[in-house]
Amino acid sequence: MNHPTPDNDVSRRSFFQLALGWLAGAFATAASAVAAVRFLVPNVLYEPSQRFKAGKPEDYPDGSVTFLEDERVFLIRKGNTFRCLSAVCTHLGCTVNRANKGYHCPCHGSVFNDEGKVEGGPAPRGLPWFLVTLSKDNRLLVDKGETVVADKYLVV
Amino acid sequence: MNTPLPQRLWQRFTRTRVGRSIFRVGLPQSKLERSQAMVSSFLLHVQPAKVNRHSLRAGYTLGLGLITLYLFLILIGTGVLLMFYYVPSTQQAYDGMKDLQFVVSAGLLIRNMHRWAAHLMVLFVMLHLGRVFYTGAYKQPREFNWLVGVGLFLLTLALSFTGYLLPWDQLAFWAITVGTSIAGYAPVVGQKLRFLMLGGHTVGQEALIRFYALHVIVLPALAVLMIGVHFWRVRKDGGLSRPDEPGDVVGQVELGQVPTNKTYGLMELAQGTTPQVGKNPEDEVFAWPHLVFRELLLFLLVVAVLLFLAIFWNAPLEEFANPIHPPNPAKAPWYFLGLQELVSYSAFWGGVVVPGLLVTALAALPYLDRGCRGVGRWFARERIVANTVFTICVLAAIVFTLIGSFFRGPNWGWVEPWQKPPVVTEGH
Ligand code: HEM
Ligand code: FES
Repeated sequence: MNHPTPDNDVSRRSFFQLALGWLAGAFATAASAVAAVRFLVPNVLYEPSQRFKAGKPEDYPDGSVTFLEDERVFLIRKGNTFRCLSAVCTHLGCTVNRANKGYHCPCHGSVFNDEGKVEGGPAPRGLPWFLVTLSKDNRLLVDKGETVVADKYLVV
Repeated sequence: MNTPLPQRLWQRFTRTRVGRSIFRVGLPQSKLERSQAMVSSFLLHVQPAKVNRHSLRAGYTLGLGLITLYLFLILIGTGVLLMFYYVPSTQQAYDGMKDLQFVVSAGLLIRNMHRWAAHLMVLFVMLHLGRVFYTGAYKQPREFNWLVGVGLFLLTLALSFTGYLLPWDQLAFWAITVGTSIAGYAPVVGQKLRFLMLGGHTVGQEALIRFYALHVIVLPALAVLMIGVHFWRVRKDGGLSRPDEPGDVVGQVELGQVPTNKTYGLMELAQGTTPQVGKNPEDEVFAWPHLVFRELLLFLLVVAVLLFLAIFWNAPLEEFANPIHPPNPAKAPWYFLGLQELVSYSAFWGGVVVPGLLVTALAALPYLDRGCRGVGRWFARERIVANTVFTICVLAAIVFTLIGSFFRGPNWGWVEPWQKPPVVTEGH
């Protein structure tokens, strides 16, 4: 049992008892908070892979801009060069539409030009370009985890 | 024998052993019994046995807080019913909504009531906030209850927002995609916060189950708790605010001091004169029946209006969520459209800075605006500066909301509602 001591005269023992008690309490609270937050952060994501195969180069006619729905990207062929542009608006994540020239976002009206650069609206950045390579079995391979500069092409 | 039959039956019942054990007081006849009725009933004892006449004036509170409470209670009732059919899975959620609409008996009505009550609750919590502001009711000693109120306001928005995703239709999917992306703009923690909210990078199954858990248990439980604190404080702060509360010591409590009313006096927590001294008994009337019957009447009115809305207007349900095609334009729920309009100028300023400042200003208000004059009256002259600033903010919010709601068409372009909507052709 603690003996009541006046405020200005805390014995060494009760000081250590108090300090220990508070420390233990603070530690337990902090640990529970950390554990709770950590619990809520998922360790495994069941999201589709960022890399995907986009078919054979011949599937895309020269000069075409093809929207790949499931992947939310545009595949662009010019001559024998291939590029891949993200269709996810950098503003708040809506899917942009291909316009006659460039791309329009239906949500808050961002406009991007053919190079993905912002021409108008609230989007803070241009649409990113993704790395396109050719797999061994002659398929286009896109990696949405890997952004590249606009004038990097895959030449087939 | 001119007492009506139901009343006589009730009286007879409350005189039986069983009736007495449950209700203790029958239909109150004497003044003593009226007090006892309030004090001895679990539901009624939240309220005092006697209330100030001023607090009963419909023109003062407009019943706005009570209406908000009633809508919340109705939301719990209808929401629990909806849970019997709703499955929080991206595969089944939408089917559940369709079932509720087309095959479940009264499913459509329950869903409509839940949806309209949710919209109305957001509306009425805002109106109540406005009433408290314009009557200066947040002033000492009610600062903390205003703070609790700001918490309740945010909770109401969060409840509505989390519920918005559950039908898993186009409206739901895109409103949440856009809404959570706004959170992603918060400095430093933004992207992490969004990831935590969604349980992933995109709105999918993980996000749905998270929103569901928040919507059906975490947030309602918090709201019940805070509403409890809110009401407790209304009483402990001396009942509702009124003009120059006469002789009311509670109104002048120094910080950190326990109010010296009778209960505290009896518990030896405080000494001194009780606030009843100098209080004019003529101003106080019995809660039973004056308050209780008004409350009952208002409740019936709320239920009637809600039923009317739910019978004649159906809650929207768009197509199944499609992550590829946002509707054009994709709009957030109406109470966020002002924000969405601001966000269309700049996501950071409109989505983070402005709302952040507004909430901070609301929370800090009673601690900044400390004058004690003009409390308990609408639009008091003494409060002209505060009222003007507040009105400007409210008007701005209304204007942006109206623009976002009616003047924005495809690609968020300017449209005039009285003209034919432009036809957009879009291809991929
Ligand atoms: C779930 C939301 C809320 C509910 C259910 C609720 C309910 C109530 C009720 C029933 C009253 C009694 C007087 C009246 O009906 O006006 C009241 C008073 C009060 N409310 Fe709320 N309220 C809510 C949110 C808010 C908000 C958002 C604020 C302000 C930011 C607020 C601040 C106050 C204050 C300061 C009082 C005391 C008013 C006075 O003494 O005149 N409440 N509330
Ligand atoms: S999401 Fe594209 S402009 Fe806002």
